[in-house]
Amino acid sequence: MEVIQSIFNFLTGLGSPVMLPIIIFVLGIILGQKVQKALVSSVTVGVGFIGLGLVIGLLFEALGPATARLVESTGIQLVSVDVGWGVAAAIAFGTSVGSLVFIVALSVNIVMLLLNWTKTLNVDMWNYWHYAFTGSLVYLVTGGSLALGLIAAAIHAAVSLLIGDWTAKDVQAFFKIPGVSIPQGWAVTSVPIIKGLDWIIEKIPGLRDINWDSETIEKKLGVFGKPIIMGIILGALFGIIAYGFYPGEMTFTQVLGKILMLAVQMAAIMLLIPRIIAIFMEGLTPLSEAARVFMQKRFADREFYIGLDSAILIGHPITIAAAIILIPITLLLAAILPGNTTLPAADLAATAFFIAMVPPLTKGNFFRSLLYGTIIMVMVLYIASSFAPLFTQIAADIGFGIPEGAVQITGLSGGNWIAWILTTISRVLFGG
Amino acid sequence: MDKNFVQSRIYTIVVSCGTAIATSTHVALKLKEILPERGFQIHTIQCRVSEVPDYADQADLVVTTAQVPYDLNIPVINGLPFLTGVGIKEVIEEIIVKLSAGEKNQ
Repeated sequence: MEVIQSIFNFLTGLGSPVMLPIIIFVLGIILGQKVQKALVSSVTVGVGFIGLGLVIGLLFEALGPATARLVESTGIQLVSVDVGWGVAAAIAFGTSVGSLVFIVALSVNIVMLLLNWTKTLNVDMWNYWHYAFTGSLVYLVTGGSLALGLIAAAIHAAVSLLIGDWTAKDVQAFFKIPGVSIPQGWAVTSVPIIKGLDWIIEKIPGLRDINWDSETIEKKLGVFGKPIIMGIILGALFGIIAYGFYPGEMTFTQVLGKILMLAVQMAAIMLLIPRIIAIFMEGLTPLSEAARVFMQKRFADREFYIGLDSAILIGHPITIAAAIILIPITLLLAAILPGNTTLPAADLAATAFFIAMVPPLTKGNFFRSLLYGTIIMVMVLYIASSFAPLFTQIAADIGFGIPEGAVQITGLSGGNWIAWILTTISRVLFGG
Repeated sequence: MDKNFVQSRIYTIVVSCGTAIATSTHVALKLKEILPERGFQIHTIQCRVSEVPDYADQADLVVTTAQVPYDLNIPVINGLPFLTGVGIKEVIEEIIVKLSAGEKNQ
């Protein structure tokens, strides 16, 4: 164990852009990839990491001063900037727990398949980041216990498979895609909430019969779902609130300049983060392919569901429409919820993920997609706020340049109750 | 098919999913790996499902992992087999048939 520990310490000491490629390379070779292919894809992941460092720098440069100004001039305490799921994922993969999450989650999956505890074969390796995220939080609050971190990641992975099984039939029937399930780490946490809310709604006469039409919204407002447009609007809005009402010493043209610059910077963030994350993804895809082939060969005689990303559900018209409306709702919630510190930003482009499971579980009810989405976002904002100090610490620990100061980072997409419960329990039981 | 057969033009394929990042990258990589082996030079554009109508008029084909709820004048093909590994051969044949048949509406 000590040898493993010291090898591990050496690897983590190298920094994520080096460590993760090494792990991914080794894993790829074990799963039967060719050396050259494994080399290219593993280094691609490292390149994604480096690119991400640059974008995080831009994010702070753009939003840091504006956030500080916002707090100073309005007293609104939205100091935890939402950096979005892409950055959250890369940070989660970049930790010690993250580097081992592929091995842990795959092992959990294999064992559960062998014991017939699940029918899902989770090939969506990208979303193992959710398990890594949970594990990394636990690792941090337990003062660096790798074992507890990995156990937490394994629990999240296992629960995801079970809930994936639970919703598989509904998903398959609603989207007419046979043989798949959705064990995505965030989506599964929304399932008990949706089922619970549905149970309540069905008991209320009147409310249970409401179902709005979503088509017009999706057609008319679709333009706001585009990352650049969303960035411009958010940046300008943010600039107006931060600088517009209390310009202080600044002249009108200076204020206008600041607002416009923030609009373009925000548009840049909305467009650039996904592009960089795509590089990361490109490196991870061959590994995920290799794992799928490896697993499918070994479980060839079994009936199983292929576990996929909830991203495949997001094209449904109801989901697209509800996701657009959820953007202003989320911003409003962030402003009025007492105690919330999360400033929704990058994940506003991904609001669809937060309601992806509602249409298949409610037979495509648009009204409920909006209602449940709003309730879910309240939870997400509070959990993201409570994670912000930890998230910021983890990012700094793995080497991203986080400036000292009042501004923190967090991610709406990290706002799931499994991570919150496991982190809270670990902190109480094992916290330093 | 003759191994030396190479289509002269470059086909544009829009690859869409919920994010333009995750599953669409997977599908785009597979397309870029497989189609040139079959003699089709391709260029891929990745986008979110809601952006498909913006790119569809410059493309020959859409391959998507999420539902595309729009009326388009180019074929839309389900890209899920690339993720599940079930039915990849069939979907490749389908893509090749559609690319060969549909001359671009200029």
